[in-house]
Amino acid sequence: MHFDWVNILATVIFVSIVVTLILAVASYFAYKVREARRPKSASELRQEGQMKAFFNQYNPDQPAADAPVPADTK
Amino acid sequence: MATVKKPMNPKLQLVLSVAVIAVVVILTIFLFRYPQKLGPVFVAALVVTLASFLLLLILRHFIITWFSYMHQRELANGEVYENYPFISIIVPAYNEGEVIQSSLSSLLELRYPYYEIIAVDDGSTDGTFDKMKEFEGNHYGVRVSCYRKENSGKAETLNYGIRRSKAPIVVCMDSDSRLTADALRYAIAHFKDPHVGAVAGNVKVINRHNIWTKLQALEYIEGLNIVRNAQAFFRSVNVIPGPIGIFRRTAIEATGGYDSDTFAEDFDMTVKILAEGWKIDYEPKAIAYTEAPEELLDIIQQRYRWSRGILQAIRKQRHLLTRTEGVVTTPLSLWYMIFEGLVWPAMNIFANLFFVWIALLYGMTKLLVLWWLLLTVLDLLIAVHATVMEKESMRLVPYAVLYRFFYILIIDVTKLFATLEELFGLDMSWGKLARRGRI
Repeated sequence: MHFDWVNILATVIFVSIVVTLILAVASYFAYKVREARRPKSASELRQEGQMKAFFNQYNPDQPAADAPVPADTK
Repeated sequence: MATVKKPMNPKLQLVLSVAVIAVVVILTIFLFRYPQKLGPVFVAALVVTLASFLLLLILRHFIITWFSYMHQRELANGEVYENYPFISIIVPAYNEGEVIQSSLSSLLELRYPYYEIIAVDDGSTDGTFDKMKEFEGNHYGVRVSCYRKENSGKAETLNYGIRRSKAPIVVCMDSDSRLTADALRYAIAHFKDPHVGAVAGNVKVINRHNIWTKLQALEYIEGLNIVRNAQAFFRSVNVIPGPIGIFRRTAIEATGGYDSDTFAEDFDMTVKILAEGWKIDYEPKAIAYTEAPEELLDIIQQRYRWSRGILQAIRKQRHLLTRTEGVVTTPLSLWYMIFEGLVWPAMNIFANLFFVWIALLYGMTKLLVLWWLLLTVLDLLIAVHATVMEKESMRLVPYAVLYRFFYILIIDVTKLFATLEELFGLDMSWGKLARRGRI
C-alpha cells in the first residue's frame, strides 16, 4: 500500500494551523469574558469611584444636606 | 491596582471589535473566492514578503545565537569579584500569601556576605503581611524588615522599598520568585564596570508539569534568555525581568524610580536607565525561578498585560525613537521592541494564513511541508543550543516541534489583539494571576 507522506503531513500541518488559530482567537475572547465577569477588587472600585464609604465622614463646617436646619439660621 | 486608561464606552468597544473581525472575515472570504482578482503583481508581492520573512527569521536566529555565544565566551573569561558591596533585596507582595514565606526563607539561604531583605506588603487582603511579619528580625546577620502600605501597585511598592534602603546595590524581585544561592555573587561582578547601571538575571520556570508550563520553560530559555544574552554583548539588555533585576542605586535615582503609568514597569525602568546612558548587562548564572501560569487563559492574561505594557512604555518614551545624541543602543532597543511586539506577531500570523491559503488554493502541499520542516528543524537546533548553553534538561527539546506552530501562534494572536486594544485605548486592569504555591 502506497502512502503519500507529503500530502498526509501537509494535511496534518494545515489542520493544526487552522485549529490553533481558531483556538487562539476563541481563548482570547474566553479570557475577555472571564475578565468581564471577574469581581473587581476594592482598590479598582475605589479608583472608579463606585465603592461607597461605609460611613460618611462628619465635617462640622459643612452640615449634611439632609440634616435639619437650625431655627435660628432662618 | 493601577488603571492606566479611562474606560472606553462598552458599545464602542463592541462595535470596534466586531468591525475588526468583520474586516478579517470579509478579506479572507474574498481571498478564497476570488484569488484571480488579486492579480499576479499582488501575489508576487506576497511571495516576496513571505520569502523576506523567512530569511529574516533565519537571520534573526543566527545573529542572536552568535552574539549570545560571544557574550557567554566573554563571561567565561571574566574575573571573580571579591569586593562585595551591601545589597538590599526589595520584595513587593500583593496577595502572595501562598508563596511569600517560601520566597523569604529562600532569600535567607543566599550565599552572599552582606545583604538585607525589605519586604513590602501592597495592602494585601489575604494575610500576606502577617505571614511575612513572622520573618521580621535578624537572621544570622541578615536583617528582614517588613512594611505595609495602602494598595497602589507594584511600581509604587518597589519605590517604597527602595526609599527604605541605604545600600549602593538594590535587587528588585517578585515575591513569587526564588533566587538561587549564588545568584547575587555572580551578578555583582558586572558592577566592576562603573558604567553598568543594572544587571538582568536569568529567569527560569520552576513548575514544569503540564504542556503549557513546559512550553513556557522552553520559551524562557530559547526565546527570552538567549536574546538577553545576545543583547548583553552590547551591554544593552532591553528588559530587566521583574523576577530578578540588580540595580546600582545611583542609576535608579537618576531615573526617578519606577513609574506607575504603564503595565510593564520593568521594561519602562530599563528604557529609562538606558536613556540615562547606563549600560545594562545580563548574568546567566544569576538565576531566579518563577511560577509560570499553568492554564491557557492565565498565559493569555499575562502576555496581554506584557504586550500592552510594552506598547504603553514605548508610547511614553517615543521621543527616544528619533534621538540622535547619546548612545545609539537606546533608540535601537525601542525599535527592536516595536519590531518584536508589533511587526513580528503580525508577520507570523500572516505567514501561517498565507501558507495555508496557497496550499488550499493551488495544491502546493510540498511548499507547506518544506516551510514547516525548515522552521521546525531551525527551532529544534536552537532549542538544543539553548538547553546546552543553559545546562537545562534535554527533555524540553521535543517541545520545540510544538513551539512555533502552536504555542507562539497563540501568543502572537494575543499580542495582535492586545496591540489593537492599545491602539483603540481600551480600558485594562492589572489582573493578578492566581498562585499555586509551587516555589
